[in-house]
Amino acid sequence: MMKKFVKPFMKLLSKVLLIGLIGFVATFALYITNGENKLIYYVIRPFLNKHYDSQERDRKI
Amino acid sequence: MKLLEKMIAPIDKALERFDPVKQSEKGVGGLRDRYYDKTGVAKWREWRGVRDTMVDYTAWLNNILSMVQMVASAPVPIMKAFWEYRWMGSYLGTFMFIDRLFEGYRGPELKIAHMNMHAIVQSLTKRIAFAMKNDRRLGGGPETEKIIPHDETITPLFLKGFKGLYPFPLQTLPEFIICDVDQHIEPYYIDVAESYGLPADVCSRCSAETGVAIDDAFPLFGKVLLSTNMPCNASEATSMFQRRRYGKPDFPITLAMQHNNPEALPYSRETLQNAMKFVEDNYGVKYDWDEFFRYAKLMNEQNTIELEKWDFFKTPYSPLSGIAESLYRLYSWQSVNGQDPYFNKVDRKVIRIMRKCYEEKHLPFGGKTRHRAFLWGPSAVYYTDFPTWTQNCWGITIVLNMDSTMGFNMINTEDPEIAMDDLTRFTEKACMRHHAVGGWENINAVWEWAKNFNCDMVLMNDNIACNGMLGVHGMMEDQARDLGFHFIFIEHDLEDSRTVSRQDMRNCVNKYMSVVLNEQPLDPTIVEFDDSDAY
Repeated sequence: MMKKFVKPFMKLLSKVLLIGLIGFVATFALYITNGENKLIYYVIRPFLNKHYDSQERDRKI
Repeated sequence: MKLLEKMIAPIDKALERFDPVKQSEKGVGGLRDRYYDKTGVAKWREWRGVRDTMVDYTAWLNNILSMVQMVASAPVPIMKAFWEYRWMGSYLGTFMFIDRLFEGYRGPELKIAHMNMHAIVQSLTKRIAFAMKNDRRLGGGPETEKIIPHDETITPLFLKGFKGLYPFPLQTLPEFIICDVDQHIEPYYIDVAESYGLPADVCSRCSAETGVAIDDAFPLFGKVLLSTNMPCNASEATSMFQRRRYGKPDFPITLAMQHNNPEALPYSRETLQNAMKFVEDNYGVKYDWDEFFRYAKLMNEQNTIELEKWDFFKTPYSPLSGIAESLYRLYSWQSVNGQDPYFNKVDRKVIRIMRKCYEEKHLPFGGKTRHRAFLWGPSAVYYTDFPTWTQNCWGITIVLNMDSTMGFNMINTEDPEIAMDDLTRFTEKACMRHHAVGGWENINAVWEWAKNFNCDMVLMNDNIACNGMLGVHGMMEDQARDLGFHFIFIEHDLEDSRTVSRQDMRNCVNKYMSVVLNEQPLDPTIVEFDDSDAY
């Protein structure tokens, strides 16, 4: 009876642990290499700034 | 726990050479070594040892989660806002901003700093989502008509008596907080204001707010606008520009400038009561004192814990100081103001850690503090991590910031008559008001505060465009000499990093520390560096 529950439970647990481990490795790698900030500084912000600079804003007062 | 420590110890030992604090101790590097020149972009994140790196990593994950929640709660309005508002793009610099703030932090200092910071992040992200969901420029939402937009220097607590309405500090998102995050955002709005003839020698905060208004970059919601004369005369001018552009009926909450004078209390009290009446008339909602008392209790708890923190600040054993203290206090007092129980929860946790540190006689920052400084006058918003730099470079701990001493009186939570008086006193002592406005004795109180907090140094923020404070230079210098304080004027231009750069500000301290005190920096890599292209 116990075996019936233990086996799937262990299988599920090992899956959760594996996903957790992969998640940790991926996010920690992004964190320690400062990856998101490099992407934002060198790619996303220049793209957005280009857009903001091309905006025509109605500033009539 | 001890087993874990034993397991970590050899890893820490092996990786110690990557820790910039250890590098500077050994004279083989320092905090600036891991940056690309000028940009403020780090090649890799700071290695702080296993335990503290994990604390920092977990905090980073939590902040990411808050941002994901923000986008998920209003994906279309958030995307539209990124496209519409220049200042929204600057919020992408938040992670770099947080890294800058807590560089060199370890142990309980780091833990508390992140607890405080996450409180701000979770609150701000919710606010951004709420604002964008209900912004008329982006299509509006179900709460658009229920929001009370008010000047950010008005304390929102008194508006919590309007059940079902949402006070919203108008300038906080597009002007104030974002200038903390990105030093290059406000010059754009300042230029917009100046292109219409606004002189370049006015307070840059007020100028930036005017520019945001003319650029139509304030979110639009609510039925009215509550403007104000707070904190000072320049704010009166920018309030006038903003209310014209915002185009809603406004009520100027003009509180007494000489707010220490008891005779001013009835005047300020009546002004607040008239503001309440104005909201009642325009929104059709009756003021509910019981509802107000609920939030006043939370505010009282915030202030009670704050006063206990002050007792620890007076000792050498406080793990909370510098920007971790002042940014949190500024936001949790001025902007949260008893409205969010999450901040009470954080306060309770932080004070427990502080009590423990005091019992254990914990010396913060590895015991490297050489000077205890009181930071007086409004700080440069574009250089929020300045206190972190003074700590890391010269061992100057900013014990308390002027703005942390905002209204700390308790508010009666049973009798509306007494509560109204308490609330008025509380509201009058808002951001930049308690000690920069209200007469000479308020400004001069710095010496008493510095003495009470066992400081040997006063750093006087010198906002070069603040006409009110320019006249006191000579007198402050004389008094510092007479009273025996180390005294440094830190020149800055509040929100315009072009006039006085961050390095110019650092030089004010560098010169005093090296020429007058003949001291050596703790970390030579951060004495002089170019961060002009950094956010």
